[in-house]
Amino acid sequence: MVSIARKNLLEDIPRFLVAQAGIMFAATLVTIQTGILNGFSRSTVLLIENSQADIWVSAAKMEHFEETEPLLMAQVEQATQVKGVKQAEPLILGLGKWQTKMGKLNSVRLVGFAIEGELFQPGNIVKGERTVLKKPYTVMADESRLTELMIKNIGDTAAVTSLPVTLGAIAQNSQSIVAPPFLFSSLENVNTYLNSGFTVELNCTMEEGGENLNCTKVYLKTPEKLATPPIKPLSLTDPITHILIKAEPGQDLTTLKQRLAAALPGTVANTTAEMAAKTSTYWKDRTGLGIILGLGAAVGIIVGMVVVSQILYASVSDHLKEFGTLKAMGASDLMIYGVVIEQSLWMAVMGYLPAMLICLGVSSWAATKGIIILITPGTGVGVFGIVVTMSIASGLLAIQKVTHVDPAIVFKA
Amino acid sequence: MLIQQLSSKPKSNITTAITAHGVGMVFKSDSQKFQALADINLSIPKGDIQLLMGPSGSGKTTLISILAGLMTPTAGNIQLLGEEITSMSRKQLTQFRRHNIGFVFQGFNLFPALTAAENVEVSLNIKGIGGRKGKNEAQMLLAAVGLEDKGKMLPKNLSGGQKQRVAIARALAGDPQLIMADEPTAALDSQSGQAIVEILHQLAKKRGATVLIVTHDPRIVNVADSILYLEDGRLQPPKFTPTG
Ligand SMILES: Nc1ncnc2c1ncn2[C@@H]1O[C@H](COP(=O)(O)OP(=O)(O)OP(=O)(O)O)[C@@H](O)[C@H]1O
Ligand SMILES: [Mg+2]
Repeated sequence: MVSIARKNLLEDIPRFLVAQAGIMFAATLVTIQTGILNGFSRSTVLLIENSQADIWVSAAKMEHFEETEPLLMAQVEQATQVKGVKQAEPLILGLGKWQTKMGKLNSVRLVGFAIEGELFQPGNIVKGERTVLKKPYTVMADESRLTELMIKNIGDTAAVTSLPVTLGAIAQNSQSIVAPPFLFSSLENVNTYLNSGFTVELNCTMEEGGENLNCTKVYLKTPEKLATPPIKPLSLTDPITHILIKAEPGQDLTTLKQRLAAALPGTVANTTAEMAAKTSTYWKDRTGLGIILGLGAAVGIIVGMVVVSQILYASVSDHLKEFGTLKAMGASDLMIYGVVIEQSLWMAVMGYLPAMLICLGVSSWAATKGIIILITPGTGVGVFGIVVTMSIASGLLAIQKVTHVDPAIVFKA
Repeated sequence: MLIQQLSSKPKSNITTAITAHGVGMVFKSDSQKFQALADINLSIPKGDIQLLMGPSGSGKTTLISILAGLMTPTAGNIQLLGEEITSMSRKQLTQFRRHNIGFVFQGFNLFPALTAAENVEVSLNIKGIGGRKGKNEAQMLLAAVGLEDKGKMLPKNLSGGQKQRVAIARALAGDPQLIMADEPTAALDSQSGQAIVEILHQLAKKRGATVLIVTHDPRIVNVADSILYLEDGRLQPPKFTPTG
């Protein structure tokens, strides 16, 4: 079969390129917006999804991973006693103030976990080792947030909440985009940071000209002078944030959740999937980011449709006499529509492929900046579906025009 | 009378390719009515080359469109190859044209994006001849019109006469029994016009196809078996009958 569709498209290369640019733009926009949304919501649940836990026990009032009330260390022990629980490990989350050597302040999220445990995985450790976090005042941060923390490498130091801190390891894929930088360390280290009070100094100076008063709040003593009290083991009354549970093999998680809730009053038990869903939904809905990115994607689809239908319509209009000739020669409607649809499919494919290349490029470039643009095979397939649907819909619009072609036009000069 | 007798005969014995009986065409636009054709009766024997002549605006194009099943008359009926086409559905008509009619147009109507060979191939594709067979047949048809070495050229690089020869090759694709040509030489200089007429004549006679040619061109008269004159939408008694 001779492909009239393809030949007609390539007949006018500049117009074809404009069309392809339009579709490419639309597909890129949709993919990137979806990628950002997925990357964003993925990042909020990275720590949950990376964990080996089956169930998360948290305070009953828990909103999401980072927003909850404390449990007690004693409850970890209680959880271990529950029938069907193979292992229970505490996780401590808390806010702290990071102060660089230059005196710059930055909020940080302290994450304390059982270093010897197996249930919590703080991303991929790319420099240093997990065990180094057992050392007093040693933490791990995500590669993407080192700039924000104004540190570069292992061994760099700063202060957290008036206590010294040394970077002992660097992780990847551990950081939530919406959260302050995570500092991972042992339960004991984090507990120490969270329990240390900090002093606040207010230094004010008059600006030249005497107009403004410039004030700096200093929460800490200078790092060199920091006291380093010995790290104490956690007591049963120390607060923790979540309990990660590994079930015995073959346990029904629904009934195990019920047993845990019964054994630990005031708590709620979620499976890891439920915990992740709660957290990502919270961020998508509460922040409106889902709507904003969704709008962006919708704009992409609309722009793409307008461009494709415009080009297809123009192409069909230009070739109206040819379609009439085809009809006169006895071409079936199916064959004629086939030409238009094939044309729109070619446009879809030729716009989609470069768009994906661009998106993969943008995504890997963004990754170096610590921004996750998550382009999953699902997104790839979905966007292809959207582009094809959009092109065929535009093709159907153009077909309206062909349907009304009177084959008798062939004899009109 | 003769017409009715013929049309009632069984198909296999049909010797008439095109029959029209009482055909009329009225164009209606808003408030105006225009009688483009009135009371057309004709019968064209199989294998004939039939010319349709007449002044501009006399209704030639309208008549050939109707006879080719591209336009439905407002009165009368038409038999092509013994089949009543006036009562056919749009789909049936399309199918009938596909298998029985080849077209040649004044403006060639070639597909500019396709090569000469592909233009012929598309017509074969429509008739269900595809793949290698379609390509070979297209090449043979081009050879038949003397363009065996022009298959890869785009229409824009061919002369008017060559384009019309491609169009004839395309019209002959699938070996239709009827060939309808509206002013096939009008866009050509007299020399290429002459050549086109000769090719059309030769190939049609060889294949036994019936050819209806609308023309102003007096030179075509030589190849015609008979001539119909149209004036103001009515057929006129013959003024001139060519040899035979
Ligand atoms: N679709 C139409 N609507 C209204 N009037 C029409 C239509 N088609 C043709 N006519 C009229 O019918 C008459 C015959 O037109 P037609 O095109 O058949 O003439 P023609 O003999 O082919 O002329 P020419 O030699 O100039 O090609 C003309 O007056 C034309 O204006
Ligand atoms: Mg005409």
